[in-house]
Amino acid sequence: MSLSVKHLLGIKDLKKEDIELILHTAANFKDVLQRPIKKVPTLRDTTIVNLFYENSTRTRISFELAEKRLSADTINFAASSSSVSKGETLIDTVNNVLSMKVDMVVMRHSATGAPHFLSRHIPASIINAGDGINEHPTQALLDAYSIKERLGGLEGRKVALIGDIMHSRVALSNIYLLTKMGAEVEVCGPPTLIPKHIEHLGVRVSYDLKKTLQWCDVANVLRIQLERQHKPLFSSLREYNLYYGVSRQLVDSLDKEIVIMHPGPINRGVELNSDVADSGHSIILDQVENGVAVRMAVLYLLAGKKDELVV
Amino acid sequence: MSTLLQQVKVSDTSSEFHNQNVDILIDNHTIIQIAPQLDNEADQVIEAGGMTIMPGWVDVMADFSEPGYEHKETIHSGLAAAVNGGFRQVFVVPNTQPVIHNKSMVEFIVNKGRSAAAKVHPLGAVSKGTEGKELAEMLDMYYAGAIAFSDGWKPVQNAQLLLKALEYVKSFDGIIIQVPVNQSLAAGGLMHEGPNSVKWGMPGIPSIAESLQVYRDLELLRYTGSRLHFSGISTAASLELIKAAKNEGLDVSCSVTPHHLLYTDAILETYDSNYKVEPPLRSESDRQALIAAVLDGTIDCIATHHRSHEWDAKTREFEYTAYGMNTIETAYAMIREAIPGISDETLCSLMSGNARKIFRLEAATIAKDGRDFTIIDPAGKWTFNNNSKKSLGINSPLLQHELEGRIINI
Repeated sequence: MSLSVKHLLGIKDLKKEDIELILHTAANFKDVLQRPIKKVPTLRDTTIVNLFYENSTRTRISFELAEKRLSADTINFAASSSSVSKGETLIDTVNNVLSMKVDMVVMRHSATGAPHFLSRHIPASIINAGDGINEHPTQALLDAYSIKERLGGLEGRKVALIGDIMHSRVALSNIYLLTKMGAEVEVCGPPTLIPKHIEHLGVRVSYDLKKTLQWCDVANVLRIQLERQHKPLFSSLREYNLYYGVSRQLVDSLDKEIVIMHPGPINRGVELNSDVADSGHSIILDQVENGVAVRMAVLYLLAGKKDELVV
Repeated sequence: MSTLLQQVKVSDTSSEFHNQNVDILIDNHTIIQIAPQLDNEADQVIEAGGMTIMPGWVDVMADFSEPGYEHKETIHSGLAAAVNGGFRQVFVVPNTQPVIHNKSMVEFIVNKGRSAAAKVHPLGAVSKGTEGKELAEMLDMYYAGAIAFSDGWKPVQNAQLLLKALEYVKSFDGIIIQVPVNQSLAAGGLMHEGPNSVKWGMPGIPSIAESLQVYRDLELLRYTGSRLHFSGISTAASLELIKAAKNEGLDVSCSVTPHHLLYTDAILETYDSNYKVEPPLRSESDRQALIAAVLDGTIDCIATHHRSHEWDAKTREFEYTAYGMNTIETAYAMIREAIPGISDETLCSLMSGNARKIFRLEAATIAKDGRDFTIIDPAGKWTFNNNSKKSLGINSPLLQHELEGRIINI
C-alpha cells in the first residue's frame, strides 16, 4: 500500500484510504515507541530538512524526533537565524538546501499556499507543517489518531472545534479529515472568528459554547491566534474567557463524558482553563505523544521505502 | 511598405462604408485609399475576408511602470504591446516613481510616447503622491495633457478629498476615475471571499469592499454633479448600483477588465500567482453579470488593467507576489473566449466608441488618411510566446498558449 500523493500539502488532497493507511501505519510506529529501543533504521539513507519560517516548538520537535526515530539525517532551519533575514527568496533557500542532496522538506510558513508553490519548483517531497490560515495536516492526523484511540473510531462521532476558526489551519485540516472519515463536525466561537461561507465545508455552526459542548463527544479547543489578528475580532481576552473559555464548572455542568483536546500551545485562562486542561477529560498530552508516531508514519509513507518492513 | 487589404469588413457607424466589405490600401499605418474594389499594386496583398476594420481601440487603464519600474515595463515596450493587442490609445496610471502628480511628469509621459504607433495618455494623480491627503495640481496637469484623474491602484479613500476632487475638475469638465475598493474591508484579503476562499485557506476580499465604495462614490457624484468613471468593476452588486445611477441621469460610466470577463475565483485552487489581481477574480455569477452588462451597455469600456511583472515578482509565496496580470496583448482573445458571439457593433462601442465619447477623444473614422484603426481577424489563431510578445513581463497565464482572435497590424 502507498499514498496517492507525492507530497502532504493538505488533508484536502487525501483520499479516505490515504488517511486510513497513515493512521494504521502510525499505530505500528506507536508500538515501536513503546519499546526499550525506540529507533528503527527505516530512513537511514534519507536526509530531511525542517524549514521553519514561522516559530514552532512542539511541531518542530515532534518532526525532528520522528525523523531521528526513523534514523534519518536531519537539518534544522529557522528563518530568523538564516539568510532569509538577509533577503533570500524561498526558492533560492530551498534550492541551496537541495543542492546538498536533501530528500524531503518539512516546512512551516506563514503564507497560505507556500508549500504548494514550492512543490511546483523542487523535486523533493514536501510535508506541510502548517501554511498560513490554510492547513496543518499532521495535526489533524494526530488529532484523528487520538480520538480513535480514545473512542474507538471516527465515523458517526460528534466533534466540536471551538474558538478561532477563522485563523486556524488546525480547524480547516480537521474539518477536511473528520468529514472525509464520516464524523459530524460543529464549529463554535464568536461570529467574528467563524469565517462566512464555512457551512460549504459541511459543518454545523454554533455561537453557543454550552449547547455545543452538550452536543459533542469531543471538544477540540483551538488556540486564540493572538499574533494573527489584524482586525477587531473580539473585545477582550477577559470577555472571551467568560463566554467562550472552557472551564471546569462548564464541563461539570454537562453531566456527561467528554473528551477535551487542544493542539497547543494553550493560552491558559483564555480558551481553556487549567482545571480542564489538566483533568481526566483531557487527552492533550496523548495528542503530543501520538504526534511523533503519526509523523513517523507520514515520513515513512512519503519516503516510499516499500521494501522495508516497519515492525 | 504598402499593403492591400481585400474585402475587409468595415464596422464604423461614422464611415460611409459601414457594414460593407471593401478594399483598403494602407501605407505607413495610414489609409491611402478605400473603395469597394481597388486594383492598385501593393507590396503585400492580404485576402481579408472574415476580418473587420474598426476605429482604433482605447484602453482606459493600464500600468506602464515608467518611470521607476522600468524593469517591469516602459512606455516604449508598453505601447508596442498595446499595438500588438489592437489598442491605439492607452491611459496609464500615475502609480509610478515618482508619481504622475504634476505638469512636468505629465509632459514626461507624453514625450516618451511621442513617436510610438499608439498614443499614451497619462492619468494624473488626484492626490499628491497618491497619498490620499492633498489635491494634486489637476488643473495644471489637465492643460499639460492629462486625460483624466485617478489615484490608480491606490483609490481615494477619504470622502472629503474625493468630494473636493469631483468638484475641482468641474471647471474643465474633467473626469475622475476610481478603482472602487474600500481598503478597510479589503485589507489583508488575497482573493474573493466565498466558499472557495474558505476551502483553500485564503483571506477573503468581500464583494461589498467594492459595492460599498461604488455606493459611496455615487452619492458623492450626485452631490457634486461631476463626472465619474469606475475602472475594473468586478461584482454584480456594483453593476446594479451603476445601472440605477445611469438611469437616474448621473454622469457615471464604467469599465471591466478582460480577466474579470474570462476567469473566476475557482481558478485559484493551485495558488497560481498569475491570477492574483485587484480587484480579485469573483464568482461565476458575478462573471455572468459582467458579460450581460457588456452586452446591454451598462459597461462602457475595457480597461485592461495591464500590469507587467518580472519573474521574481510573481515566483514567490502567493501572499508576497505582486498584483496584476499581463493582459494588453491578449485582451481581444480573452474577450472573444469570454463572449464568443460578441458582435462587431458591441466591440466597436466597448473598445473604442464609448471611451472616445466619455473621455472626449477625437473620433476615428475609417476613411482616407485615417491612422487610428484596429483590424481584427476573429478566427485567426496565434501563439502568445516570447516571439510574439512585446511586453517585458512574464505574468500571463496565456503564455505559450495558442489563442483564437488575432490583431492584424500593418
